Amino acid sequence: MYELFFKKLNEKVSFTQEEQDIIRDYLTPKKIRKRQYLLQEGEVCKMIAFVEKGALRSYSVDEKGNEHIIQFALEGWTISDLYSFLTGEPATYNIDALEDSELVLISKSAQEEILKKCPKYETYTRLQVTGAYLAMQKRLTSIISQPLEERYNSFINLYPDIVQRVPQHMIASYMGLKPETLSRLRKKIAEK
Amino acid sequence: MQTKQTINIIGATGNMGSAISQNLSKGNYRLLLYARDQEKIEPIVNEIKNANPAADVEAIDSNYNGCWEADIIIVAVPYGAQNEVAEKIREVANQKIVISIANPLNETHTGLATAPDTSAAEELQKLLPNSKVIKAFNTTFAADFSMPVIDGKQVDAFIAGNDAEALQTVSELVSTVGFNPIIAGDLTVSRTLENMQLLLIQLGMKYNYNWLAGWKILHN
Repeated sequence: MYELFFKKLNEKVSFTQEEQDIIRDYLTPKKIRKRQYLLQEGEVCKMIAFVEKGALRSYSVDEKGNEHIIQFALEGWTISDLYSFLTGEPATYNIDALEDSELVLISKSAQEEILKKCPKYETYTRLQVTGAYLAMQKRLTSIISQPLEERYNSFINLYPDIVQRVPQHMIASYMGLKPETLSRLRKKIAEK
Repeated sequence: MQTKQTINIIGATGNMGSAISQNLSKGNYRLLLYARDQEKIEPIVNEIKNANPAADVEAIDSNYNGCWEADIIIVAVPYGAQNEVAEKIREVANQKIVISIANPLNETHTGLATAPDTSAAEELQKLLPNSKVIKAFNTTFAADFSMPVIDGKQVDAFIAGNDAEALQTVSELVSTVGFNPIIAGDLTVSRTLENMQLLLIQLGMKYNYNWLAGWKILHN
């Protein structure tokens, strides 16, 4: 139920069995079905979700009703509206499940309790937020200045098996492309 | 838009379980109905959907999976079955709100089966140490759910628990069902709440309230 969570946790910071038992007490196991929401725009994001199994996405909706995918989260990833989680302001993102998924949720109050009892966890949260920042900067640079083909390749590197799991139009949305542009791009890459 | 919370109702075929399910189906909730006797659940699901086609409700054949999906768990089984249920759901109920509705009456209805220094809710909390146990719906009869306003007065429904956020969530749930929620205090207040219902049951039998009775605090 928490296997991958603790594996990833220990990759970043090594926790003793005792510390892991403390952390486990504060985790919320949650199953969610395909197309079910975890968060909707306008609510305050009170949880960070770690994906044990399955796939989720976060996206925003513009005034014309178009969806713009911000992030995918496959096994081992975390997903949330971090801005809302940290500031307590209403979320601007929606998060829903692309497949039936098994999550590990950590609420803000649970996180505070863990930090009190297990100060080492602070390092983990810092690395997590740093990681999210680095990913954001990379994504921003890529979308502003990287040539399209390189952009697609770095996307595939980031999410190796995503093409098999997620519909093309969602990948196009993530890349800020029209589906037909992505289709032409993929054809071009395939012909090489 | 508020994301739908998923509620697993354990013992959904009982008087209380089915009444709670019926009333909650009018709110922004996704309901998973569980009972040991699977054949009896489907008629209740159908009944709810007939009354309210927009209701998001379904039967679930595994208590463990139901609680795994749930954000809130309602344990609508008799006090005697509490241990067995807790054992099954402990792992997947971690950190979740678990509502205790039980009144631990003794067999003759002359008193409570629990010791004076505890309550059904506190016993459930001991069994589920990492869950947020909240006492609710124990001072209301099943019949009250179809008539939460009696003699022109909205029935009060008392809530007790130790987690402020969980109390707030359950308070909203109680409002959805149609009662007037009153947060009474921490989980030890459950002792009083369970004794209040003992009294109401005894008075109901003595004066023939016909199971349609409730508590109302009069105040200025």
